Amino acid sequence: MNKIMHPIEPEELMAYLDGELTAARAAATAAHLGECAECQIMVADLRNVSQNLRAWKVEAPESTTPAVIAAALSEHRPVSRSIAPARRSWREVLGGRRPFAWAGAVAVILLVAAVSMPNLLRTRTASNTFRQREDVRLVPSPPTAAPMNGRQFDRTEQFAKLQAAPPVSFRALHSDQATGGNNLPGNGPMVIRTAQLSLITKQFDKARANLEAILRRHRGYVGELKANDAMGSARTLTATLRVPADQLDATLSEVKTLGRVESESQSGQDVTSQYVDLQARLTNARNTEQRLTDLLRNRTGKLSDVLEVEQELDRVRGEVEQMEAERKNMANQVSFATLNATITEDYKAQLEVVPPSTSTRLSNAAVEGYRSMADGVVSLVLFLLSTGPSLLLWGAILFFPVRLVWKRVRRGFPV
Amino acid sequence: MISDEALMADFQRGSQEAFEELFARYRGPLYGFFRRRLQCAQRADDLTQETFMAVIRALSRYEPRALVRTYLYGIAMNLLAAERRRRFRDSPPGQIAPEPLSNDAPDAVLWIRQALERLDESEREILMLREYAQLSYAEIAELLRLPVNTVRSRLFRSRMALKGYLKPERKSGEAAAGEVEESVKLTRAEGGAI
Repeated sequence: MNKIMHPIEPEELMAYLDGELTAARAAATAAHLGECAECQIMVADLRNVSQNLRAWKVEAPESTTPAVIAAALSEHRPVSRSIAPARRSWREVLGGRRPFAWAGAVAVILLVAAVSMPNLLRTRTASNTFRQREDVRLVPSPPTAAPMNGRQFDRTEQFAKLQAAPPVSFRALHSDQATGGNNLPGNGPMVIRTAQLSLITKQFDKARANLEAILRRHRGYVGELKANDAMGSARTLTATLRVPADQLDATLSEVKTLGRVESESQSGQDVTSQYVDLQARLTNARNTEQRLTDLLRNRTGKLSDVLEVEQELDRVRGEVEQMEAERKNMANQVSFATLNATITEDYKAQLEVVPPSTSTRLSNAAVEGYRSMADGVVSLVLFLLSTGPSLLLWGAILFFPVRLVWKRVRRGFPV
Repeated sequence: MISDEALMADFQRGSQEAFEELFARYRGPLYGFFRRRLQCAQRADDLTQETFMAVIRALSRYEPRALVRTYLYGIAMNLLAAERRRRFRDSPPGQIAPEPLSNDAPDAVLWIRQALERLDESEREILMLREYAQLSYAEIAELLRLPVNTVRSRLFRSRMALKGYLKPERKSGEAAAGEVEESVKLTRAEGGAI
């Protein structure tokens, strides 16, 4: 039917007959029907269909109210809500018309809570731990009873104070030993100095050569040296340098000129009391040695007594030698500071001169593709194995409530 | 005349007379609903009673969200679906025969039923709800969970199809009428239902 000729759609004609049009549209349809023969035929056809269908009549049911309905009415006597509330069914108590919807929602919330609770707890525990750590950091450390004994000086200011006192030189220590070793080496404290320096340089080879020149100039030596020159990465040099303690500052300032300083730290360990203690024990041991030697030389006695004195003399001499070595080592550490230097080349990635061939790239891509596919399959299997049983369980638990809720949502009518 | 909704409200407040009035109004239409879809008259009557029993049982849950008429036909449709499911379940596999047409039905009825049977199921349901239950498009849409426009277009399509199916006997020649007569006899012999 042409819309220009017929401003009323055929479906609208049907709706007009069924009384489903608005008043205005119905009036327009009636007006059009009055003048359009084609639409009149359509209306007649539609009426004819309805008339034909009405020929199918069914017999009337019995007129009396069946006994079952009457019995149900008397048994299920409705009570006025305004007078007394009707007895509420468990469904109403649980959630009105849609208890299963509520049950489903509760189940989903429980599921989400069960999944997320361990994570929440973990996060909270982690934040508590972090807070405790912060508290520890905020509490000031108590003052130490022994101010100088074995105390570490990590801060630069404290270290600077120690530096004000002149350190003991190796030569002075040796002269002390020559004069009997009872005197304290100088008046200042004995400090083992350690410094750490990380540098980044663009001219790695030049920096390395300069480092050796600086060492020579300040009468230092290399304790340990490691160089790394791996392909495709920056070259590094890690060296443990020993320089005279009084030359450390000058050495440091010169080494810093080799590149850009990335990190720097200095520390000092005061060993004055340990040194004094060691000196005292050494003096005692030497005196004991002297007395035992005199005893052996001047007294005569039984052979067993002589042997016993000699054994004792050997033990004391061993102790003296051990302490002497310890004292020399300590003096060496004090007179020679340690400088841990790390020099890293400022790496610039360079273009590959020869790019890999197409076949190599293809085979690499194939290998990587296979590997990623295998990884993916393994990950999927792992995921299914780890979560499959839980999913099955929850699916089995939630299947029937969800199906019931769905049915009830689909059909809002009882039965 | 008191509206169905007012009667239902009265029934909720305890008026048995209101229920009896509703029963009197809708017993016939609901019986017709079942009777046109089921062969057994007794079963149709039982299901009509079941519909009202469901209304009584669900009275405390009733909320006037839709017209009482829609509510009643909604219950009836659910009962009919349950009845069909039960029949399907009880029949041995491979022998799910449609209900036979009763031989005492007039030819005109058989002719209409056969024409209706040729329609698509959803279109037939819409047409029958409109023609026999006199439900509005909106009520049918609510019952079948369809948009109103879909109901309207399907209704139009089914009426147009039915016009073609019903035409031959009434308006074409003897041959066509004879053909229909033949198929009616065949249906009587073999059995068939909507």
